[in-house]
Amino acid sequence: MRLLRSRLLAALVLTPLLAGCFASKGGGSEEGGDGRSGSRLRVALAFPPAERLSPYGADATILSRLGVAEGLTAMDANGAAAPALAQSWRREDARTWVFTLREARFQDGTDVTASAVAGALTHATEAEPEPAALSGVDLTAEADGSRAVTVRTAEPDPVLPLRLSSPGLAVFSGKAYDADGRVDPVGTATGPFELTEVDGTSSAALDRFDDYWGGRAQASGIDARFIADGTARANALRTGEVDIAEAVPVAQAATLDRETRRDTATTRTTSLLLNSASGPFADPELRAAARAAVDTSALAEGVYEGYADPGAGVYGPAVTWAEGKRVEPAGRAEAGRAKGTSITLATYDNRPELPEAAQVLKQQLEKAGFRVKLRIREYSRLEPDALDGKFDAFVLARNTLVDTGDPVAVLASDYTCDGGYNIAQLCDKDIDRAVAEAERTADPGERQDAAMAAEAAVLGSDAVVPLVHQRIITGVGTSVRGVLLDPHERTLVGTGTRR
Amino acid sequence: MRQHLTALLWRAALAAALVCGIGLLPWLSRTDPALTVLKARSAERDPSPEVLADIREQLGLDSGPLPLLGQWLGGLWRGDAGRSWISGDEVMPEVLRALGASLLLMTVALLVAAVTAALVCARTLRLGARRRLDGRRSGGGGSAVLAALPEFLVASVLATVVGVQLGWLPALGWYGPQWTLLPALALGLPAGAVLGRLLDDLLPGAFGEPWALATAAQGLPARRIARRAVRRCVPALLPNAGLFVVGLTGGAVAVEQIFDIPGLGRTTLRAALAQDLPVLQAGTLVLVLLAAVAAGTCRLAARLLAGPALRDGALPALHRPVPPARRFQPLGYGGALLAVVAFGLPRDPLALNTGERLLPPSPAHPFGTDALGRDLLARVGHGALDTLLLALAISAVALCVGVLLGLAPRLSGPLADTVNAVPPVLGALLVTAAVGGGAATPAIAVTAVAWTPLAAHTSALLIQERATLHFAATRGFGASRWYLLRRELLPAVLPPVTRHALLRLPGIALALASLGFLGLGAQPPSPEWGLLLAENRPYAERAPWAVLAPAAVLALLGALAVTAAGGVRWPGRRRGPGRRPGDRGPEAASARPSPLAGELVEAR
Repeated sequence: MRLLRSRLLAALVLTPLLAGCFASKGGGSEEGGDGRSGSRLRVALAFPPAERLSPYGADATILSRLGVAEGLTAMDANGAAAPALAQSWRREDARTWVFTLREARFQDGTDVTASAVAGALTHATEAEPEPAALSGVDLTAEADGSRAVTVRTAEPDPVLPLRLSSPGLAVFSGKAYDADGRVDPVGTATGPFELTEVDGTSSAALDRFDDYWGGRAQASGIDARFIADGTARANALRTGEVDIAEAVPVAQAATLDRETRRDTATTRTTSLLLNSASGPFADPELRAAARAAVDTSALAEGVYEGYADPGAGVYGPAVTWAEGKRVEPAGRAEAGRAKGTSITLATYDNRPELPEAAQVLKQQLEKAGFRVKLRIREYSRLEPDALDGKFDAFVLARNTLVDTGDPVAVLASDYTCDGGYNIAQLCDKDIDRAVAEAERTADPGERQDAAMAAEAAVLGSDAVVPLVHQRIITGVGTSVRGVLLDPHERTLVGTGTRR
Repeated sequence: MRQHLTALLWRAALAAALVCGIGLLPWLSRTDPALTVLKARSAERDPSPEVLADIREQLGLDSGPLPLLGQWLGGLWRGDAGRSWISGDEVMPEVLRALGASLLLMTVALLVAAVTAALVCARTLRLGARRRLDGRRSGGGGSAVLAALPEFLVASVLATVVGVQLGWLPALGWYGPQWTLLPALALGLPAGAVLGRLLDDLLPGAFGEPWALATAAQGLPARRIARRAVRRCVPALLPNAGLFVVGLTGGAVAVEQIFDIPGLGRTTLRAALAQDLPVLQAGTLVLVLLAAVAAGTCRLAARLLAGPALRDGALPALHRPVPPARRFQPLGYGGALLAVVAFGLPRDPLALNTGERLLPPSPAHPFGTDALGRDLLARVGHGALDTLLLALAISAVALCVGVLLGLAPRLSGPLADTVNAVPPVLGALLVTAAVGGGAATPAIAVTAVAWTPLAAHTSALLIQERATLHFAATRGFGASRWYLLRRELLPAVLPPVTRHALLRLPGIALALASLGFLGLGAQPPSPEWGLLLAENRPYAERAPWAVLAPAAVLALLGALAVTAAGGVRWPGRRRGPGRRPGDRGPEAASARPSPLAGELVEAR
């Protein structure tokens, strides 16, 4: 009896102690127990918050995908700027834009005013390091009355409305910003869902924001879990623990039921970059030989299991206008003979398909007479060497609409002499001129034409061989409706999403 | 008292050296922390000079490593371990939370390991307690196979089969007791198999001791004899169990990932890759402290179990009564392994054909094909030589280092604990920083950790051996230290430690492959076995054969090593003439069965 009692006591003492060792399951009651209609969505996201959901870094995507935060504009399916908090906008002169706000409310109950928006944008410009969408841009925002915001840039910026759609420039109410420059997105944004609780890097709970300007969301809330391992995410969907699992790896896709597997073309292009400044690929004929050796459909089918489209250019099918405006590259070199040239081919293992693609490429290049040595490392251990041009060839998966949604940005950073991310070490006057021309063009349609002309110039150098355009697989439970599968990977849950 | 103080100081010095090593890591390895931090925050951000300068300023990197380190240590005094360089969160709560989850997982895993070890030894215990061991020893093949299974493979299979397909237990998450079971099984089964093998190795010696005969003659129930035999042998294993505890707490990365557990392994791995030094320093320090606590607990437990006999030098020799008979088992395992290699070698391990990916076993591809359509038999066969030679070489070096350092337990005990507590990736980064990224670096990095269990085992056996009567007697006869070492200590210690080293051979092959993502060790498309397992792991469910083939040969290697190691003996120790099985070995005969020893053990 005494033994029993002491054990009982031990159990009583241990229980709270043990509870501290477990993760909290986050989230509120099931099935709208608090009198709200609609049930809660359970979502498994791939990337845990790195910086406490600060909107100025990569975590902004989480806020945007879960429908927490939004900016003045949004990006539509064709990659153009669409109204969000701003109802409309007009260009006053080359450097000045005026945005007219709609009637909206912050999740803390205050109104979205021009001064609040101008304040939010000013905070973003002061962030260190600056948000990716603002890199190289000098911007000031001022309230102009209660409903209009004037945004001025130091240099003419034809894509400003598109730039403001970046999740990094989302608008929060004044009380989100503290003196140290940190932003607290809990209950201070404007989207259809309101963050209520964030449990470190493991989960977050969201409730519906009833005063959302776009109407009440159908789901009463979201329980988001951050599950970094792709297999674990797929398992979470298969066991019914979550309703939506984002970014299911290709290797796991076949384990999901056919009706829960949705694939969307993305703006992510995997390319083979050839070092055109030094090593064997400084010779354009060898670059042409490498391009001719690559069989992209073997990669799309064999490695990506059909969840990718064979490489067509820098921009893939997710950039809807690109195919119709594509220009054939001219002036390509004749393919030379490799004759046993030794090259190093590097890639990273953070994306599981890349090492496999590199091994297939190795065989294809070896058939053409190259001798290939593979270097595979974790990305951050590889990047400095890649940027220094220490490898002859590099397989890179790159988002071609990067942070701003502007197609020209990726050309400027990756393929020009001054580009900050020029792994191909490309430096060609004609390409620089074509890219500069595209950067100057303001009219959206003409800008796209100019971008495609620059793309043709880049491809003509053979320093870039587009391999595949990746499709992203989202696992969606059979009862879930209205998931926003977005080629730009900016949205996932919206007002119409429910289960 | 002074001894304890010295040990404490040595431990503190080691911990301080480790923390300083971590603090200097980016500067030693010339990897810009601003860049790694940026990539951890936002993988796709272009590393422009302005952004990097902002991060450097934010983190105060320009002041150099020493002021940063001093600042961190100054805060530590007040219980403040600084803020994470990635998230800006306070480090201490984060690390303690992760530690809580990891400790809980480890505790349950330890229970599983205990049960597994008991099952492994069950046969020896049952027969031994009834005095029917008669030189029969359990084959050990089964437990060696279990010991050779990689944790991540067990974890994947459990998560998929038990968690997803059967739905008996949650497949992922960390929300309550039922969530602990599957990950604990994945960690505990291989660990328990290793401990069980080590225990099984010692038990026949205990059953051969006079007290066992006497108690059996008194008619005591077999269960009590078995319990005493276990009690007699466990002290020699405790240090290794302690190493397991600490190793599982900080190094269960794969299992934490598969089951999505917010544990210390993932926290430190992420911090190590991003060079988030405050988190890394705090996490490592916590693990080193845990190692010290675990070592202290083990020593206390060993003293409780065998204390008086140890102190009085009144232990009987714990030696195996007879060398096990030569058997056909190792020949069988070796033959199977050779056959795989022989059939694999004529095939091409690198020819890939994406049209034939993930084909099940067939006459054309007896082991099936992998995700790129390569023949698995060919890959396994070709990988054998590299894998085996390197793993054997590392094992041999680890054995030498382990035994040598194990002979100086006061020096090596804290060192082994500390080294073992360092998360594997951090260890590899520190080794790379120290010796550069050459071809030998991965081997050095693995060896740097692989010696620790062997040294702990050596020390534990040594303590027992020094407390034996025959040792005291030999010393009484005026034997020199060198004679004692050569004739008494090494012969008693080397064979079990060598068997232990062989038991860990497959683990070493896996450890080598786990460093691949740092650019160390074998790179694709090399068919090295650890790499085969890693690259086929994502396909474990769709194409089980792709992981089974390398796992099976690794297990075969483990079984071969263990069964063949049964023959590892000290050369020149022959059995006396006319000795019956079950009699005590010659080394024990030198200490005439003393009634005192029997009584002592009896009295406890």
